[in-house]
Amino acid sequence: MNQLADFRHTMQSCNHCGQCKWVLGPKTRGYDFAEICPIHMQFHFDAYSGQGLLHIAQELLDGELQYDPGLRDLVYSCTACGACDTNCKSIRDMEVLDTILALRAKLVEDGQGPMPQYARMAEAMARTHNIYGRPHAERAAWAGEPAGLSATTSQPAPVAYFAGCATSYQRPDIARNTVRILEAAGIAHTVLGADEHCCGGPLWRTGQIDAAARQVQENLDALQRRGVQTIVTSCAECFGTLRGFYPRVADFPFEVKHISEIVQEALDAGRLRFSKPLQTTLTWHDPCLLGRLSEPYVPWQGEIKAFGRHVPAKAWRRGQQGVYDAPRRVLGAIAGIEVVEMVRNEENALCCGGGGGVREAFPEQAQVTAAERIREATATGADTLVSSCPFCQDTFEDGLARQPGAMRYRDFTQLVVDAL
Amino acid sequence: MPLSRDVYAELEQVVGPRHISDKPWILAGVRAAQPSSPMKPPSPEAVLLPGSAAEIQQIVRICNRHGIRYIATISSLIGFAYPSGPGTIILQLKRMNQLVEVNAQDRYAVIEPGVRHGQLRTELMKHGLTYPVAAVGPGGSVLANFACSSGDNHCQHGASRTNRYLLGLEWVTPEGELVRVGSLANDAGWFCADGPGPSLRGIIKGFVGQWSGMGVVTRIAIGLDAWRGPPELPTQGRSPSYRMRLDPACHKTFVFKFPTLEQARDAMIAIGEAEIAQAVLKYFNASAALLATESANEFWELWDSGLFQRELARPLYVFLSAWTHEELEYEECVLRDIIAEFGGADVDERIQRIYSDNMDFYILVGALQRVLRLGGGWAPCKLSGDSIGHMFEVGKAIPEFITPFIEQGRILDAPDNWQIIPLEYGHSAHIELLFLYDRNQPDWGKVPMDFMRASMQADIRNGHHGTMPLRTVAASQAIGALFSNAHMWANRVKDAFDPQRVSNPF
Ligand SMILES: Cc1cc2nc3c(=O)[nH]c(=O)nc-3n(C[C@H](O)[C@H](O)[C@H](O)COP(=O)(O)OP(=O)(O)OC[C@H]3O[C@@H](n4cnc5c(N)ncnc54)[C@H](O)[C@@H]3O)c2cc1C
Ligand code: SF4
Ligand code: SF4
Repeated sequence: MNQLADFRHTMQSCNHCGQCKWVLGPKTRGYDFAEICPIHMQFHFDAYSGQGLLHIAQELLDGELQYDPGLRDLVYSCTACGACDTNCKSIRDMEVLDTILALRAKLVEDGQGPMPQYARMAEAMARTHNIYGRPHAERAAWAGEPAGLSATTSQPAPVAYFAGCATSYQRPDIARNTVRILEAAGIAHTVLGADEHCCGGPLWRTGQIDAAARQVQENLDALQRRGVQTIVTSCAECFGTLRGFYPRVADFPFEVKHISEIVQEALDAGRLRFSKPLQTTLTWHDPCLLGRLSEPYVPWQGEIKAFGRHVPAKAWRRGQQGVYDAPRRVLGAIAGIEVVEMVRNEENALCCGGGGGVREAFPEQAQVTAAERIREATATGADTLVSSCPFCQDTFEDGLARQPGAMRYRDFTQLVVDAL
Repeated sequence: MPLSRDVYAELEQVVGPRHISDKPWILAGVRAAQPSSPMKPPSPEAVLLPGSAAEIQQIVRICNRHGIRYIATISSLIGFAYPSGPGTIILQLKRMNQLVEVNAQDRYAVIEPGVRHGQLRTELMKHGLTYPVAAVGPGGSVLANFACSSGDNHCQHGASRTNRYLLGLEWVTPEGELVRVGSLANDAGWFCADGPGPSLRGIIKGFVGQWSGMGVVTRIAIGLDAWRGPPELPTQGRSPSYRMRLDPACHKTFVFKFPTLEQARDAMIAIGEAEIAQAVLKYFNASAALLATESANEFWELWDSGLFQRELARPLYVFLSAWTHEELEYEECVLRDIIAEFGGADVDERIQRIYSDNMDFYILVGALQRVLRLGGGWAPCKLSGDSIGHMFEVGKAIPEFITPFIEQGRILDAPDNWQIIPLEYGHSAHIELLFLYDRNQPDWGKVPMDFMRASMQADIRNGHHGTMPLRTVAASQAIGALFSNAHMWANRVKDAFDPQRVSNPF
């Protein structure tokens, strides 16, 4: 794993152009919905932005800034949504989000982080392997009922469904729907059952790298024992973590697919067909870890030579190859559904507000961003907000509860199952 | 000089506790060195986020009472957007971000400082309107650009510099008085910058602006032009590989090359005389290569191929934008005649294709921030304005001082990385030379000053109006004689309006 000091080039290259706070020019659609950084939008000081966090990181490294609980809160107020990273990378060769995450890791290493909520989560995870501290034995309970999900086995198979903590414990319907879809598409698969641990994402993104790496190892062992080649997820957080974190800390010879990609392939191949129309106008929220942050991480070790030349050449993750088309194409293929777009979409999507541990540590802050996103979704004329992330779902459902009648939230898998 | 608790409390009273901070981690966000310079600017004593002109007036009066310097900023994109000395507070005007009015009939828009180019430009497109948009990227403040700093843009051939588009404005003087300037002063609306009545536009903006050295501009109106494109940008692709094809029946971008600078100059003048084209420019070639590529490595591959050096040493970029296909055909015909008359030719098809895929000129050059992709060692110089002929004279003299820097390996070998942009169909023009240097070199920190000094000395030697009188004492004294000693007048004006010298003095 890279240390904070490895990102000096990034810190020194920032010229405050502010692109990390604004939707990219070609994607801007007017006065409204033009801001992109959830914390800058709310607090306005430059310190609350990718740009500001780079400067803070540099001063900390240079010994010009001392630790303080206020500084820690600022660093953890960032949702780690990566909008700054993608936008900066539209014009630069800089690693903004990796620097922010390395800054968090440094806080943890120096005993100054994480926020108490995340430290408690890590403690619970060491015992129970999930973010909620719930009994590990309950992890696979979703697979037990209703009866008839015959393919839900822990036998070896080339394809594994990785459910993740939030889905397993809080949203079992998503797990069951995912398995139903896999069955309908005729995809033989396995689940990890009691061998599944938290993907490690919430630990990684709060700077608790060692604890996260331990989860990685457990999961890799379980996957390897089952002869898995392809991992399927229905959770954006797991998806982005498997692709973006695992290769940083381990050999990772697996293909990772999102359930929307599986459905799209099955539709294209004629293995799946929608038979029921659903009358709804929906808008798709691109979760950060399914969209711009989901490109596979390719380790790079090298030197930055004169005038920014990277030797050897580096495989940049600029957010271009995220999972954007599959969910839109799938949902658009269901009779009666109209998909309408928010202004901030795809690589320029606005975070739900709850990412990076913000929902747990700063719930009111998360709700300000969620309200802004719901305002944007409502402006499309849609009656349904659809996504594929149980964490976004939690944040949005909190927000929608404060605005009764605004619209409803549905998980991607629910609509697909309803239309089968 | 840290703020006393009493003064802090006074300021806090004005803006509220959420909108002021002197916490070191908040200040860290605004005091980093620019990548182009090894010097860290002085740390501000506090950052304030005022929400109205009335609040700014109160803050400015407090500053005058206690002898505290203040500077107004929005994005702080440039070196002049930093405190010029210790004991300064920063007023970040981001919360004042209302798009107050779009008057489609009289063709002006009224904005506050926090409105950004990305927002205004795309909002106006919905009304079939546009304005001269600087190449600073979507996050740059429109007001800062029009009323406080710089002002050249790539479409000014068919339009003008931003200072000429500045209409009525509202201004908090360095001592805290709220003044309404232009037609606004007579309650006649926002339509004119100069009265009837005495004009203050030159005091507040002049050619390049006062960089916060003359109070705080809180609201402006800018003139608008017709936009011939669609109401929404027809963007294709995803970052960083966007494509932007406007209707090819009415929009077309050309890149031509010329055997000599004189021929390029004469063609530029002739295009202006014919009153065709939205944009005409002799554009940078290394910057163009940076805009055309998506990583430093890709840039190097392209630059090492020599294509852009060969084809774009003496180019003219022309963007035609018409209402109808017939009009476009007419303009293209005239253009082709002019290019042929002055010995121009089409550039390599690989280059032309880049611009056929990306027709929107703002987007095309709006990613100019990509020049920082090479690590951040860059600086613009010259930046002045005069006739097209004079600007080409300045350009022709560049090898005089640039060659030693290249031979010593102190800057990127890109002697043709300069642009000339005419304005108002050729009534005058702007020049800018962009040089890039590498921060890994031991003496990199000295390069920008050494280079700018050499450039300025060449102008003084040649009697050229190439260097914009800069906002530093040494530079303005050195170059002032070439501009009627304007710096002395500027000092007198400063004394008259800002006797306490608190409005970001240098
Ligand atoms: C890569 C790059 C390309 C650029 N291209 C162009 C270009 O094509 N054309 C061009 O004109 N400029 C250009 N600039 C220069 C400059 O960035 C712009 O002029 C821009 O408008 C600054 O906007 P900002 O929001 O960053 O303002 P800031 O940098 O925050 O402010 C600019 C200056 O105005 C002062 N100021 C800001 N607001 C106020 C106010 N309300 N009252 C009084 N003073 C104020 C500030 O103190 C500062 O000195 C470029 C800069 C960069 C880095
Ligand atoms: S986009 Fe990148 S270079 Fe620009 S201010 Fe943000 S972090 Fe800095
Ligand atoms: S990761 Fe998201 S919240 Fe954090 S600084 Fe970047 S854009 Fe803002």
